[in-house]
Amino acid sequence: MTKISFNKHSIVRRYIYLMSIFIAAFLALAAILLYSFQELNEGYTSKNRELEDKERLVQEMNEAFTEAFMDVRGYIAYGNMELKEKALNKENEIRTLTERLRKIASEEQDQKVLDQVDLFTEYYFVTVLPDAIEDYETGDIDAVKETANGGATKRIESIKNEMNDYNDEINNQIEDNFKELMKIQSYVQIGFVSFILLFLIVLLRITRLMFSEIAKPLAGFASAANEIASGKEAVIEVDADRNDELGVLSVAFNRMAASIQENEQNLLAQNEELVAQQDELHAQQVDLQEALEIVKASEQKLNSRNELINKIANSLDQQEVLESTIVNMCPIIGAEKGIIAFVHEDSYASYGISPEGVKQFRNNLLFSGIVERMQMERKPFSMKREAAEEEKGFHTGSLVSYDLFLPIFLSGKKLVAVMAFSRSEAPFDSKKMDEYEAMAKNIGIALDKISLYRKSEEARRLNQDILDTIQEGIQLVDTDGKILQVNKKFCELFGCPDLLKESSGIGFDEWIGLISASIAGPAEFIEFLRKEVLNGERNVLNERPFTYKNNDGQVFKVYCEGLFHENTKLGTIFVHRDITKEFEVDRVKSEFVSTVSHELRTPLASILGFTELMLTRELKPDRQKKYLTTIHNEAGRLTALINDFLDIQRMESGKQGYERKQVDLLPIIKKVIDLQRIQTDKHELILEVTGSAAKVIGDAEKLEQAITNLVHNAIKYSPGGGEVNIGVSESGEMVNISVIDNGLGIPSEAMDQVFEKFYRVDNSDRRTIGGTGLGLAIVKEIIQYHQGEITVDSLYGSGSTFTISLPVQTEDTQ
Amino acid sequence: MRRILLAEDEEILRMLIVDTLEEEEYHVDEAADGQEALDSLADVKYDLVIIDYMMPTYSGLEVIAEIRKGGLNTDVPILMLSAKSQLTEQERAMAAGADYFIAKPFSPHDLLQKVREILDDENIIQ
Repeated sequence: MTKISFNKHSIVRRYIYLMSIFIAAFLALAAILLYSFQELNEGYTSKNRELEDKERLVQEMNEAFTEAFMDVRGYIAYGNMELKEKALNKENEIRTLTERLRKIASEEQDQKVLDQVDLFTEYYFVTVLPDAIEDYETGDIDAVKETANGGATKRIESIKNEMNDYNDEINNQIEDNFKELMKIQSYVQIGFVSFILLFLIVLLRITRLMFSEIAKPLAGFASAANEIASGKEAVIEVDADRNDELGVLSVAFNRMAASIQENEQNLLAQNEELVAQQDELHAQQVDLQEALEIVKASEQKLNSRNELINKIANSLDQQEVLESTIVNMCPIIGAEKGIIAFVHEDSYASYGISPEGVKQFRNNLLFSGIVERMQMERKPFSMKREAAEEEKGFHTGSLVSYDLFLPIFLSGKKLVAVMAFSRSEAPFDSKKMDEYEAMAKNIGIALDKISLYRKSEEARRLNQDILDTIQEGIQLVDTDGKILQVNKKFCELFGCPDLLKESSGIGFDEWIGLISASIAGPAEFIEFLRKEVLNGERNVLNERPFTYKNNDGQVFKVYCEGLFHENTKLGTIFVHRDITKEFEVDRVKSEFVSTVSHELRTPLASILGFTELMLTRELKPDRQKKYLTTIHNEAGRLTALINDFLDIQRMESGKQGYERKQVDLLPIIKKVIDLQRIQTDKHELILEVTGSAAKVIGDAEKLEQAITNLVHNAIKYSPGGGEVNIGVSESGEMVNISVIDNGLGIPSEAMDQVFEKFYRVDNSDRRTIGGTGLGLAIVKEIIQYHQGEITVDSLYGSGSTFTISLPVQTEDTQ
Repeated sequence: MRRILLAEDEEILRMLIVDTLEEEEYHVDEAADGQEALDSLADVKYDLVIIDYMMPTYSGLEVIAEIRKGGLNTDVPILMLSAKSQLTEQERAMAAGADYFIAKPFSPHDLLQKVREILDDENIIQ
């Protein structure tokens, strides 16, 4: 088969070859088909054109003859010379047409018709026509008619028929030619369909070939591979002689299958060997485990020892150290029970001992002489003894127990504690006892350390307590700006209670942040602090105060001092002192001075001014009087001011002397009203008294001053005039005097301040009303001295009510 | 006739200053507080404003600031009176726009002298 020879090549090459032939054949056939179709078409067209040319030429000839005949007749009938010329000219035209037809004449019939036309032309134009014309011109009409009748007309008819026949023949040929074309076209169509069928058949053949050549063997490989994978033996049914890829693949595949089988067998053999080795290893493992358990036991002892050392080295809690000691020492020693107890202190820890046992041991410790023995020998000792009943458990025979006593010395000298252990396992050998003694020494060192720590901790706490007691914020900062210590007050000031607990301290930036948050305008302050922290010089002045305000308006003064050890600066101590009160006092004092000076300057300006005018100018008597009155009034105002200043000054400093006598208030009130009434004609002063005994103990003159001030204010602050009601009443133990006006009233926001010195409600109505701003302050001082109270009630714009309440007292009740 | 505005809440001092200045035939308008002063300043062009430091409604400083903001009298010379004689008061007055400062108590003669000086200065300038 051809298949075998193809197999010699690779599949790819084979298929490229096959496809090339296929495509080439397809292209060649298509080209042939296209070419023959083109040829046929062209043959038809040229023949058709030729026939049409012949047809047209014969028609033109026919027309030319007809026109010639007509023109001759027209000439003979009408004698028109023009027509005669036209008819004669036709001869040339016809001869030209004849020549053209002769050129394309190809067939017998063409030649035949041409010969006849030539004959007729010769006859008509050479013989008949010249004769007829000559006859006509000589007037021999009869001769003309004779010529016509004598055969000319017949011959004309004959040639015309001849030409018409020829024309019909040509038309038939054109039709035949077209039919021929149709026939050929139908052949071409059949050829084309057969071509496509052939193409499809070949394609089908190729596909089938590919299927049987490649796909089938590949499917065979797949199923064989699956079988090998599932452990079965597999045969590849592919021709091994094949030299193409599949042939190569089948050989390789079979080789692979064989090698897999071989490997499997090897593995089985190895597996058996491994099982044998595993058994051996298992036996070794058992041996090792036994050894490991021994190691583990000694490791546990080591662990206990490490834990003990770790605990006593790192713990500062005494009880923790005691407990850790006893819990870890028991397994190290192999004791069933043990105890560690302080000799002169109430601290102990025990393992496996009942509370009664503990109590008994501690009691025995003091009175059995063990302590004394240890103090002297400074060595551990052990004892062998009969086990006690409760130690025997379920044993009934005799049982021996060994006790070990270990002393613990503080600073290597003083015996502070004793450890005792019991075990029944074996006696204690001296080598082990030395080891235990060394451990006891370590425990002693740990207890020593704890004791020292306790002392220093106490000292530190005392220090902190002292610092916390101080009512100034104290802050110790190291040279890097880190806070080392603060006191409670500092934390309160800056809102950082955590700072007290922070043992590690916080950095400069962090506490600067805290301070910045709680004080006003911190930039300058921070600069000050930074400078002081970094300042390494010893401070000559010992303090460098800086004053700042915090957000609550408190004022602080900061003192700082470098903390030096010999000549090295260790840090800086800042003391934040709350000087809000002092600051406020200063402020009030300077405000007072400023106000007093202002209050004095105004009347002084008037007095000085007017006296100068009087001294330097010539004045009319009425003007002189006006000036003098003014000067007098202003001098009076000055006097009143000075009196008020002095009064308030005395009262505030507690230097005011008050009389203590029985005072009947009613006559005083009446006197005040009478005096005030004289000074105003716009106001009506009304006194209303309920109850009888308005008697108090005090200073009549001062009380009169207080009432005067109130009534005077009522008049002053109702500039529009109106009623001023003075009410006197009693409620229980108190007498109340109220002064009610219908004047300007006090704005609610100013109510709290009206009794303050120099406070004056600041608005235009009041500016025109003079006053020192001291009147109500004086009233308050006087009333407070008399254990009384003053209250104010006011509606802004509707008037005010001032009420003083004084305790009713007579000399009898005193 | 030179026209002067006097803003002073103390009636007696107002009288003193008016009597002093009218001797010289200056025309003096009186204002008893800041509001009155501002009202007058809005209507009349003055050659000089004498103003007290502390006044009801608007203080002397406030009135000065208002004057200097613009308007009819924006360039008028201002003489400030104050019973508070501290330097800070004077500095504040100058900062607000006052040109001259006299502390209370003052001599009427000195005041007159000062006013003459100021107004003559103005003459020279004009």
